[in-house]
Amino acid sequence: MDTRRAHVATAKQPMGEFVQQAATGLATGSVYAVLALAIVLIYQSTKVVNFAQGEMAMLSTFIAWSWLSRFDYWPAFFLTLAVSALLGAALERVALRPVESAPALNSVIVTLGLFTIFDSLALWRWGGVPRPFPSPGVFSGSPLAVGTITISRLNIGIFCTSVVIMALLFAFLNFTKAGLAMRAAAENPAAARMVGIRVAHMLSIGWALSAAVGAVAGMLLAPILALQPSMMFGVIIFAFAAAVLGGLNSLPGAIVGGLTLGIAQNLAGTYVSPHTGSIDVTVAFLVIVLVLVVKPAGLLGRQVKRRV
Amino acid sequence: MDGALTARRVAGLALFALVAAFPYLYRLPPFDQVLDPFRTFQATRLMIWLVVLMGLNLLTGYSGQISLGHGALVAIGAYTAAVLMREYGVPVVLAVLAAGVFTGAIGFLLGLPALRLTGPYLAIATLAMMLALPQILKLNGIRELTGGVSGLLLSTPRAPGAVDGFMTDRQWLYYACAVPALVMTLLAWNVTRSHVGRAFIALRDAEIGAQQMGINVPLYKMIAFALSAFYAGIGGGLFVFTEGFMSPDTFDVNLSITMLVVVVLGGLTSIGGTVFAAFLMTFRNDLVDAMASLGVLKVPGAIVPGKEQAPETLRGALYGTVLILTVVFMPQGLAGFMRGLQERRPWKRWLQAARMPRRRTVPVGHPASPARKTRGGER
Repeated sequence: MDTRRAHVATAKQPMGEFVQQAATGLATGSVYAVLALAIVLIYQSTKVVNFAQGEMAMLSTFIAWSWLSRFDYWPAFFLTLAVSALLGAALERVALRPVESAPALNSVIVTLGLFTIFDSLALWRWGGVPRPFPSPGVFSGSPLAVGTITISRLNIGIFCTSVVIMALLFAFLNFTKAGLAMRAAAENPAAARMVGIRVAHMLSIGWALSAAVGAVAGMLLAPILALQPSMMFGVIIFAFAAAVLGGLNSLPGAIVGGLTLGIAQNLAGTYVSPHTGSIDVTVAFLVIVLVLVVKPAGLLGRQVKRRV
Repeated sequence: MDGALTARRVAGLALFALVAAFPYLYRLPPFDQVLDPFRTFQATRLMIWLVVLMGLNLLTGYSGQISLGHGALVAIGAYTAAVLMREYGVPVVLAVLAAGVFTGAIGFLLGLPALRLTGPYLAIATLAMMLALPQILKLNGIRELTGGVSGLLLSTPRAPGAVDGFMTDRQWLYYACAVPALVMTLLAWNVTRSHVGRAFIALRDAEIGAQQMGINVPLYKMIAFALSAFYAGIGGGLFVFTEGFMSPDTFDVNLSITMLVVVVLGGLTSIGGTVFAAFLMTFRNDLVDAMASLGVLKVPGAIVPGKEQAPETLRGALYGTVLILTVVFMPQGLAGFMRGLQERRPWKRWLQAARMPRRRTVPVGHPASPARKTRGGER
């Protein structure tokens, strides 16, 4: 993210720089959190880790891009969410349902297949050249100064949008009938079915929700990374690391994990990388391995006991 | 043991003779039409892929753990062998063996977290390793050894003087890879047919059940990881020896996924399937080209006007589609498909079905009844 200018501005105050980097990391981390939420949404309900999540988000962003020539930003934004949700539900129906009762290996392989398909389709349809992607007008303008640090409006916008998405998701899952039904279906499918919840529909809704949430992450990242088929390659691994850190079955964990990872990445980039060469992906790798060795359930996840 | 010449044995001997004489066949009349020295090079590649994919199948097929970073293990093996040969002048055989052992140790360490876990964790961890490896290779302190971005260049491998005159460098390389590949395949054959292989399958299918039967689950998981990585390391060592070059981008995520694709397509939990997989891996580009020339890739171009060009980029879509269709309709892969043909002789059933009208009723509560179908994740 846009850290270099800030780096120069505050390089003389060690504490100021630390806070500056942490604040910038918070914006990066909020996008990781949104993407991790998308991963957890699917994992929680279907025990499938969706390796195609990043490519789904990239495809959604391309859809948004193709509509931006016809609509304003926000109509295109919401239209993309709707279409992504439909596509997500369709994917669950068409690709995932046939392997649902097969070993976990099969569904992982299906999501990998989706990964290559989406990547290749995007490359074929739109080519590999990076394209500029706009951000809404509110997000541009001179950076804001808060105390000793300055934050770009884009980063503030990213953070705020992420928070809004998280709040909406929280409200949906806790205060609406459909949301509660979804949680029930994820928690205990048999019991949920017994009280009249259509579990199969809930799985589709889970995928739909996840695809829409992922689309938000894609559209937030595109102005920074430039829109291209390989856009999410470097990002998705942080989302996975965030999801593992927070606990693969915990939505609050995904948020905590995402923010932590964003901050850690920025701090490592400032204080360690000048001595070693860039290490951001390595940090994500180490976080994953460390969590799996020390506390496999993650920070906020529950250890799932298996019944024999 | 009685030495009788059964059809099976004759076929086996013929196959062995073919593999043994392959680099010389292009000079003989019936074969010189289809073979040339370039095929020898491809056959060498095939042998290396056989070793690598055998390891992946031992891990994914037999013990049921998914590795998305197998390319990273191969790369580690290749770098180990390259650095040993280049910096320390270690002889090839020792360097390749050391690469196998070192990579095996890395795989063992990577498997440690998975000992306590079931599920997709190893897939995530190995994916992360695959993505982090190029960065690690470029770190200060490691860069000096690995050559950083520009990679490592070895001297071109030469056939030793003793075989001068009757073996070219290319033929020599073929044998240098075919012998280890044969040994590693026999090793895999024996391992999978021993108590170790059966323990792998048991812990894949029912970990708790395996435990109840007295199988030391963590131990066998460790063996699976280490063995798989050992194969990857040997394969990597052979690769860098024949190729003479290694860079951080030689093995990337896409290649790792392709490895998984061909292993699934060839047939998990099957040595024969791994041979299929090695063929698919070696000739994957030729296969896609053949499909492209048949017009398979032109179809989407015909739907979206102006996109008839560059069907190249649709290669991934083709892989992905084939992968998903395989998992859904042919989860045992090509090997399972062949086995099914051999065992069930379905053409008899097809003939019968053609003669008789189809009527099939299943009583309620019968295992095949739709009412009994339960959904996954319902434990």
